[in-house]
Amino acid sequence: MASVAQGPEKAGKVRRPRTSRDRTSTHEGFLRYRNGRWLKISALLAVVLIALYVFVPLPGQHFGSSWLGYTLGTLGALLILWLTLLGVRKRAITPGRWSLRAWTSAHVYLGLCLIVVGTLHSGFHFGWNVHTLAWALMMLVILSGLFGIWVYATLPSALSDNRYDEEGAITEKQMVEALRSLDRQIHDAAQPLDPQAAALVNSSLEENPFAGSFWNRVTGRYARDATRAAAAELRRMRAYRARTADDPLDKVDALLTRKEAMLGRLRKHLRLKTWLQAWLYVHVPVTFALLAALSAHIVSVFFYW
Amino acid sequence: MSFLIRQIALKSSGEEIVRGSRVDGDELTIGRDAACGIHLPDLAVDPRHARVTRIDDQRLLIESIGDQPFDVNGRSVNRRELDIATGAELGFGGHRIQLSRDADTGLPVFSVRRVEAVSESAEDVDLGSAYTLKGLLPGKRMSAWSFAILILVAFLAFPIWSYATYKPLALHKDDRRPAGFHADKAWSSGHLSLAHKNLENDCQACHVKAFVAVRDNACLTCHTQDAHQHIPDAARLVRARGEPHGFAAFQRAVATAFNRPAGRCVDCHTEHEGAGAMPATRQQFCTDCHDGLKTRLTDTKIADAADFGTAHPQFRPTVIVGMNGAKPLLQRAVWSPALREPNGLKFTHAQHLSKVNGVAQMVRRRPGRFASGEALGCQDCHKTDSGGARFKPVVMEEACQSCHSLNFDEVGGTFRSLRHGEPAMVVADLRAFYRGTAPARPANLSGLARRVPGDAALRASAADYARAVRFYPTRADQAIAQVFSKGGMCFDCHTVTRGGTAATDGFAIQPVAQNGRYYNTGWFDHKDHRKTDCVACHTRAPQSNDASDLLVPGMDGPGGCRSCHVGEGGTHLASVKVKDPVDSGCAMCHSYHMDSGAPWQPKGRRDRKRQQDPIHTAVADRPRQWGPASLK
Repeated sequence: MASVAQGPEKAGKVRRPRTSRDRTSTHEGFLRYRNGRWLKISALLAVVLIALYVFVPLPGQHFGSSWLGYTLGTLGALLILWLTLLGVRKRAITPGRWSLRAWTSAHVYLGLCLIVVGTLHSGFHFGWNVHTLAWALMMLVILSGLFGIWVYATLPSALSDNRYDEEGAITEKQMVEALRSLDRQIHDAAQPLDPQAAALVNSSLEENPFAGSFWNRVTGRYARDATRAAAAELRRMRAYRARTADDPLDKVDALLTRKEAMLGRLRKHLRLKTWLQAWLYVHVPVTFALLAALSAHIVSVFFYW
Repeated sequence: MSFLIRQIALKSSGEEIVRGSRVDGDELTIGRDAACGIHLPDLAVDPRHARVTRIDDQRLLIESIGDQPFDVNGRSVNRRELDIATGAELGFGGHRIQLSRDADTGLPVFSVRRVEAVSESAEDVDLGSAYTLKGLLPGKRMSAWSFAILILVAFLAFPIWSYATYKPLALHKDDRRPAGFHADKAWSSGHLSLAHKNLENDCQACHVKAFVAVRDNACLTCHTQDAHQHIPDAARLVRARGEPHGFAAFQRAVATAFNRPAGRCVDCHTEHEGAGAMPATRQQFCTDCHDGLKTRLTDTKIADAADFGTAHPQFRPTVIVGMNGAKPLLQRAVWSPALREPNGLKFTHAQHLSKVNGVAQMVRRRPGRFASGEALGCQDCHKTDSGGARFKPVVMEEACQSCHSLNFDEVGGTFRSLRHGEPAMVVADLRAFYRGTAPARPANLSGLARRVPGDAALRASAADYARAVRFYPTRADQAIAQVFSKGGMCFDCHTVTRGGTAATDGFAIQPVAQNGRYYNTGWFDHKDHRKTDCVACHTRAPQSNDASDLLVPGMDGPGGCRSCHVGEGGTHLASVKVKDPVDSGCAMCHSYHMDSGAPWQPKGRRDRKRQQDPIHTAVADRPRQWGPASLK
């Protein structure tokens, strides 16, 4: 375990000590499930459909209402329904061959294939109507899903990196505990301070570490952070004061610095988790909007048959 | 005077721990400083925040030491008198201090409690949701329902309501929805063609019944006159197309299962495909039925037809076969070089078009009178009609009379002529002419002139004159007979018989008819052939000396249409040499909705250059397609 000896500052891929986890697991993610079985199936399907679109001599230009158009439309609608069922499937803990990973892998790749199915179904005829609305919502869902894949593929390692330090991993609960502990220490250490300094320190204690808007979470930037402001102000105040042997401000400053670091880590954790979760706030509601638009699209076609 | 202090802390079990102390003196300080009588380890509290002094046994005075206020009974104050018996609740930062009187000693008691946690992070945190976006974004479930319901209302319920509201307007030609927004327009998959532009706002004009595909009755609401039925019986039309096989049969079955019967107007006239003009009709649109039609419709009178270059039946021009009184009897006959058309006239095309004979000489002697100064040309007699597609009947007075004069008398420089087309008037005019004149009277009979002595000469003159008067043709029979007989004016051009009445002295002119249009089911436009010499097609005109020769070209042979026109894909028979081929689909000459006019063609179609550009074309099943028209 050479990596154990290496400090966190070491450059290269091995940046942190891996004392508690073996990172070279045999884990096979949904993207590489069975050597990309669903990737291949979806790619083949897409190629076949594009070939059909290009080479099959259709008598008309309007693909939505040619036989190929109806076929693509039926296929697309069934695909959308099946893709939506992932939400049901993942809540049903079932054993057996239909592993959730296989299901997710198929969801991802067939979902991407839906871009081809849906767009060919449109025959590239777009307008301000319910049909294009359904297509646009479908694209929005797929693109948000694509974004989700990207964050799922890249952010978890950053999330782990953030949780590891020289003392090992820290859990979400431990992050809060660490902050509480620091707050208690700061509270005690700040008792001798004058009212002005005490008020500054108190503002840090009064601050909810989970406060902040969605925008703060996404960017990880908290412009009016009380802890940082308190630490800076205290340092500024101390700069003009004569040094004494055991200035309580020294201890408070050290504690605030540690709190800031902890808070920084918590907020990075929050930022990463926000990115991991936020796309679902588009993906899921727009999926249901899509189902509604799809229903309207299908009903309208048969209504004005 | 003393004060009793009770510090109350809570165990994790919720049990209270009370630590009591006593402060002697008349003054009690409250603050964060450990030296204070009531020590509050609270950063929101000043080191020496407030002072409590005794006023009397019943009352205390509490006031800020600095300028920091504190709470008394929920009000923020800097100074307040307190009644011990009544008690009070003081608030300092996260601490609450209850003032009461001790029952045993009667001393004021301050019960101190920490009510707020040391820090915000020390408050209870729900770890299940703290790290999620709960509360920061609208919930997924809520927004999913909102979006879905919004879309269903806007794009399903609202359009159906629009349709239901204006449903009664369907199948009424001039009933239109009011201008403005109608929700079901959100269902329109594309603009209507230019011809139907005014229906853009009226979905129910065509979509009459919900879930019923557009039927012909919707089309016929407006197209009462111009929707000429190619075959009135739609079922027959479907039969002519033949039973589909294989995949096409499957498609037909699916369409029927989904209530889309075949043979409707909209099978071909598809809509919502963009605001353009109707596309050109592809050859396949016609040949789907007409190629091998007889095998499917055994009772049809129409010959099988496919590509013009290779598989078109021989033309069948409508020719004059005889006369019924003044009306010509017309009949379609298969074209052949030997086909004749007795139109009642005598005319020698060859003689008239000659450049070397007397006719040409007459033209040369009258410069400026004819189009060419050298010889007669076709256009000297044949004038196009106003549209330019065909020719007006040749009019004798305009075309012939300048040479074939009907003049017979001159009175003071004015010529009198016989009336063309009125044989009885010709006879009457001639009789009148001869009745009003007499032989000149010999001078020696007048008595005043000098004469030869003796009566013999006089008698001879008188006898001659008497005979001349006796035999002067006052009834003009001879002149009439001359006019109507060989060598006479009428006889030159007309066939004269002896079946006439007394008014025409027994002569009769055979009625004449001129054929205005030979090809009635196909369209031919002379205007499109202006740049071609007449004899390029009417090749036999310079040789024909018989008016009954049919000079109209047919499909094959010299001057035939196939000399230039090839099939839609450029196909032609191996036996035909085509120098400058013109691709000709069915729709160039034939129209689906048959009338006497020109077949419909998209604008610019006649322009050869654009003809080769990719254009909309139509075929039977789905008539519109992008891309160049080609024979597959």
